[in-house]
Amino acid sequence: MSRVLPVLTVLAGIVVVWYLGAVWLNSTWVYDQAERAGTTVTLAEVIPQTMAQERPLLPPPHQVAAELWKGVAGQAVTSKRSLVYHGFVTFKGTMMGFALGIVLGVALAMSIVRFRVMDMSVMPWAIISQTIPIVALAPMILVVANQVGVQDRDVPKAIIAAYLSFFPVLVSMVKGLRSPDQMQLDLLRTYGANEVQTFVKLRLPASMPYFFASLKVAIAASLIGTIVGELPTGAIEGLGARMLIGSQFGEPLIMWAALFAAAILAGMLILAVGAVERFARARMGVPA
Amino acid sequence: MSWIAGTVVIWLAAWALNVRVAATGWARTGAGRLFVPLLFGATILVVWEGLVRGLGVAPVILPAPSAIAAKVATSLPVLWVDFAQTFLKGALPGFVIGCGAAVLTAIAIDRSPFLQRGLLPVGNFVAALPIVGLAPILVMWFGFDWQSKAAVVVVMVFFPVLVNMVAGLQASERMQRDLMATWGASYWQALVKLRLPAAMPFLFNGLKIASTLALIGAIVAEFFGSPVYGMGFRISTEVGRLGLDMVWAEIAVAALAGSAFYGLIALIERWVTFWHPSQRH
Amino acid sequence: MKKLLTGAFLAALATSAQAEDVTLQLKWVTQAQFAGYYVAQAKGFYEEEGLNVTILPGGPDIAPTQVIAGGGADVVVDWMPSALAAREKGLPLVNIAQPFASSGMMLTCLAETGIKEPKDFADKTLGVWFFGNEYPFLSWMSQLGLATDGSPGGVTVLKQGFNVDPLLQKQAACISTMTYNEYWQVIDAGIKPEELVTFKYQDMGVATLEDGLYVLEDKLADPAFEEKMVKFVRASMKGWKYAEANPDEAAMIVLENDQTGAQTEQHQKRMMGEVAKLTAGSNGALDVAAAEKTVATLLAGGSDPVITAAPTGAWTSAITDKALAN
Repeated sequence: MSRVLPVLTVLAGIVVVWYLGAVWLNSTWVYDQAERAGTTVTLAEVIPQTMAQERPLLPPPHQVAAELWKGVAGQAVTSKRSLVYHGFVTFKGTMMGFALGIVLGVALAMSIVRFRVMDMSVMPWAIISQTIPIVALAPMILVVANQVGVQDRDVPKAIIAAYLSFFPVLVSMVKGLRSPDQMQLDLLRTYGANEVQTFVKLRLPASMPYFFASLKVAIAASLIGTIVGELPTGAIEGLGARMLIGSQFGEPLIMWAALFAAAILAGMLILAVGAVERFARARMGVPA
Repeated sequence: MSWIAGTVVIWLAAWALNVRVAATGWARTGAGRLFVPLLFGATILVVWEGLVRGLGVAPVILPAPSAIAAKVATSLPVLWVDFAQTFLKGALPGFVIGCGAAVLTAIAIDRSPFLQRGLLPVGNFVAALPIVGLAPILVMWFGFDWQSKAAVVVVMVFFPVLVNMVAGLQASERMQRDLMATWGASYWQALVKLRLPAAMPFLFNGLKIASTLALIGAIVAEFFGSPVYGMGFRISTEVGRLGLDMVWAEIAVAALAGSAFYGLIALIERWVTFWHPSQRH
Repeated sequence: MKKLLTGAFLAALATSAQAEDVTLQLKWVTQAQFAGYYVAQAKGFYEEEGLNVTILPGGPDIAPTQVIAGGGADVVVDWMPSALAAREKGLPLVNIAQPFASSGMMLTCLAETGIKEPKDFADKTLGVWFFGNEYPFLSWMSQLGLATDGSPGGVTVLKQGFNVDPLLQKQAACISTMTYNEYWQVIDAGIKPEELVTFKYQDMGVATLEDGLYVLEDKLADPAFEEKMVKFVRASMKGWKYAEANPDEAAMIVLENDQTGAQTEQHQKRMMGEVAKLTAGSNGALDVAAAEKTVATLLAGGSDPVITAAPTGAWTSAITDKALAN
């Protein structure tokens, strides 16, 4: 209870601020409309009108909740109007990018720890790569993928997601693989362990806590990459595509519902990664 | 064919040189630390150039580095205007406001464990959300100019910094705090002299994350409406005009600005947290 | 998966049937603006010609010209100004058909800003689309003698996003709209037509040709590809005429193809009705006079013209001549 109550208080505060914001932002439109019609409205008349607009500047929470409920429960999950369906499309892209990012991050980290020259030449560029605005690269990735014969638009999406998610894995794994101290390394040398054995029996297990800690960051980054990839590059399906269409056709409710669906997806992914992490830690005997 | 063969030879030669250099003692000096990654970067550019020429890639798909460099040289005024709009007016104020607000919020809730326990999970959650999706909404609220870009940046950087700062304020050890208490230090004295310095490594961790987010946020927001200058504007417009050399010129500027910004924060970090184990070499 | 299997099965059968693959890249997301192609596909017009057509929707980051340059499409839907600009950049695009006879682009202003005629634009803020759609606007302003660099006495140009918010939020005095889309979003938002002042590019004499079909010149030299395009244009125009005659059915077909599921019947039906007005009067053949008018408008584009010289060979009637012959 002592953990839930503060969170609930904060959430309740957010909802209150949100409602106030909705009244404030949406009232401009009501006043404008009244002015165009040549009438005046009192505040008491304005407030209810700010709660149920079709195109609100800031839809109040209950409108978003209703739209979200309609999208999640009001449709068959296979329907393309279902947020579950689009959430799944985004989820697929996220997982592809996540897997790709992990493989890339771990492989790079391994070679960086093994080869000094990789460490010196690649590591600075890995940092610089993250300062490049990925959205600017998105159309180019799409066209180059086309060029090499990949028609499937899931692939460019996954590449963007991987581009964002490999970095946290790389940084943590480098730290983790280097975490065994000299004493431990010396001990293995006295056992006559070769390099591969040292890696498998010491460095790799030692890096696991770092690895799992980076996964939470990586999965969130991967989701962002997927949504950025869906937004501008051939909005076909997925939560990002719905955000774009909502924006284009002046349907803020669709946009907000997609945004919240993405938030829920993010929450579930982080919980899932957390569960995997706890499981792995328990199996490895690390105190949680 | 000769282009490709030449490219492969140069690649192998440069790599061999880098391996050699990395094994020497010189590589541990400052110059060596700079030389190896620079040679690596230069090699990538040469390979890029060679492949584009060797394979005859159309300039509307991937321009050669030489063409991009030429474009940068001839359009410096435009690049400067775009940089000023997106980075100096959009990303930088947003970064300062967002990070400042996060630090102040963290200090403000410092005395209320109740609020901390409430805000931390929420903040952690929001920090993981695809905030980028808010960009069209914030553009709708704050208009076209740099204000909406700064707003997107504020929202993007606020939560990562808040979460790090709250964690940082709790980082000082029990023993150290007790020591402050025995000296009769007030809450504010303990905050300024012990807990804020102890929070710095965490804060800079958050600031580094925020620095890369800031530029991305400002550029994405320009997709959803902007004046007729700015890096995001130029990128999306030039893709439509097939001016790919200009697009890459902007990307180069963005990478340069982002790296410089990150480097600057890392430098300040080294100066502020000189006492921390991670800074001792 | 099922689709994939059927596809593979069909491919196996193709030795006898020889269905030819055509990939079409649209300029924007799936909507009634492209109804003709979706109708031709749904009604089997492409199939009758022995074509297997893939329609790729566009998006804010997808330049059709870049996609075709990268080999991602055989034929693209694009506006003539951006196609001509690409041609000058060294990408030899050729117009093979022009299903849209007239332009649907307008500038829509709030009456309360006091704008009554084009000269009132001075010192106002105007919203414009970029990404290759800005050229007609820039030449118009240069013909009006209004500077677009923000200097006093000129106009302030804003790059508008994908919706009409800037007008509703009064961030701009006027915004770009299409007769078939954004204009109605303004109306839907609760603003009455009499509160708006609208300038159609068509009426202002600065119209440029919109949605046309473009292919790469060198591919067109191949007789087999030419034959394929003849079939494609013939079936597409059949689709367009069907869509014009049955707008509601066409709108539903478009809706069926919208994979985001976020589009509404109301929007698409209305859009189809308006699009039909623009395609009416075109049998697919390019009106050379209109194309030359487009070139003239673009060449009058002031200090920073889109194209610097009149293009040669930027359009051909070879495809439509054959497609419409029988």
